[in-house]
Amino acid sequence: MAQGRILIIDDDPDITEAMTVVLENRGYEVHGAQDSTEGMERLKQDRPDLIVLDVMMRTSQEGFDLSRELKHNPDYKNIPILMLTAVKQKTGLDFKTEAGDDSWLPVEEFLDKPVKPDVLLEKVESLLQKS
Amino acid sequence: MENLLKSTSLVQRAYWLIRLRWIAIAILAVATFVAQRFMGVSLPVTALYTISAVLLVYNFILYDLLRYWTWAGKEPSSARIGGILTFQICADLFILATILHFSGGIENPFSFFFVFHMIIASILRSKWQSYLQATLAVFLFGGLVGLEALGWIPHYHLAGFIGRDVYNSWTYVLGFLFVFTTTLYLVVYMTTSISEQLRKQQGSCEQANALLQEKDQLKNEYVLRLTHDIKGHLAAVQSCLDIVFREMVGPLNDKQKDLIERAHRRTSKCMAFITALLRLTRMRLTGRLEVERFSLRNCIFNALASVQNRAQRKQIDLTHRIDSSVDQILGEAVLIEETLTNILFNAVKYTPDGGKVDMQVDEDAGFIRVSVTDTGIGVPQGDLARIFEEFYRADNARAAERDGTGLGLAFAKQVVERHGGRIWARQNAQGGSSFIFTLPKEPTASAG
Repeated sequence: MAQGRILIIDDDPDITEAMTVVLENRGYEVHGAQDSTEGMERLKQDRPDLIVLDVMMRTSQEGFDLSRELKHNPDYKNIPILMLTAVKQKTGLDFKTEAGDDSWLPVEEFLDKPVKPDVLLEKVESLLQKS
Repeated sequence: MENLLKSTSLVQRAYWLIRLRWIAIAILAVATFVAQRFMGVSLPVTALYTISAVLLVYNFILYDLLRYWTWAGKEPSSARIGGILTFQICADLFILATILHFSGGIENPFSFFFVFHMIIASILRSKWQSYLQATLAVFLFGGLVGLEALGWIPHYHLAGFIGRDVYNSWTYVLGFLFVFTTTLYLVVYMTTSISEQLRKQQGSCEQANALLQEKDQLKNEYVLRLTHDIKGHLAAVQSCLDIVFREMVGPLNDKQKDLIERAHRRTSKCMAFITALLRLTRMRLTGRLEVERFSLRNCIFNALASVQNRAQRKQIDLTHRIDSSVDQILGEAVLIEETLTNILFNAVKYTPDGGKVDMQVDEDAGFIRVSVTDTGIGVPQGDLARIFEEFYRADNARAAERDGTGLGLAFAKQVVERHGGRIWARQNAQGGSSFIFTLPKEPTASAG
């Protein structure tokens, strides 16, 4: 059984529930939050090993904003972020996962929604191993 | 404020005037030659040939100036280009008057060529400017024949063409001038009325067009929002179904599994459709290309590789020939590869087992030409023009394959046209169809 605590921040409760089932099945401890405010609270409380973060919540940028905030916070900057997005392809947004320019999006990995269970598990596992 | 022609079309008109002037110069030289040599008319040929030469130089200078002002797609202000046109028309009136002076004045029937200048002015300039030009023409020609009649300036008689005492017969001169003047003003009146109406129509067409574009934009935004919402719900449905299907929340019996699988398959299809529509709409809305230099050759091989399996399963003979010069081009690689894949995939999809699909890629005059020919069900002649429309599927395609979003070719067309290329299909005599598209190696700034 895999070890690790995962925080899912997504405003779609059904997606959160489905991912929770997949991850718990593998043995992870999973917590959910519906927006970035709740996410920050959970972060303080649970100290997760990995965050799964949705891009579009109340605003279309909420996930991006939160990820930038986290990567500038010394307490949280080492927690890997797996970003979920329905807009990865062809939005005109040029995603870069490396620092150095304005389009820098400080996350470790992107996945396009809907995420297949095995793909989700594979990415989570590899990110946890790296950190 | 009169609705005048736009400055780009004015530039075209300025070039048009220059082209007309080349013809006028040729007519002048040839007419002088023919009149003197073959008709025995006495003419001050030196003066007339000199005028032709001066005109030739003048026209070259104008041509160069215009090219300089419109260099590399520059668009001169409409005031400047309007000024150039007014100057040209005025100068032409002076030139015609001078030519007439040296070739008989009132005796020369070419005096009615002033009518052409009036038509040109009425098409290109405003109403009052055209009337001013008519007044200038009357003043110039009236002055010329008047001064010649008075004997204040020399008169060059067209001996051998007309009687000697026409030019100083006041009845004739005044009668001629009366007809001349009314002709010019009437021509200006008629032509400006027509061109004013045309300009109005042009204006309302442009307005209607702008309105349509605005509506289309609204429609696209609406579709984008809608599809985005649907995609969110679908993603949730799919995620939940996936978990149940994989028995992560407990075992299923065969019937349950079968039903869940059916539901999953349908949502996947719906998802593919929504995703395609979302991408097409997004491309319509942003209208931007992220152009980079990339290897088209690699894209072609990737596209071929991605349909290879399916072709093998259907025992389709998938062949290709790529010009050795085809490689680096400018464009958006992801979109072009997807377009290539789309078209190959269609060919394989609509070709019965054991058929053939052949891809040819050539380069010609800065354009890449890709053509994919198959031995498939073909496109009925009547559908050829419509298959690139969104959601349109030919009847035989629908009958052969139930699945299909009806968006693949619309997407391909959008991509190709954004790059400044063209796409079309044709029915082959021996059955099957060919899909052909072109791409410029270096798309210009206007594409995209």
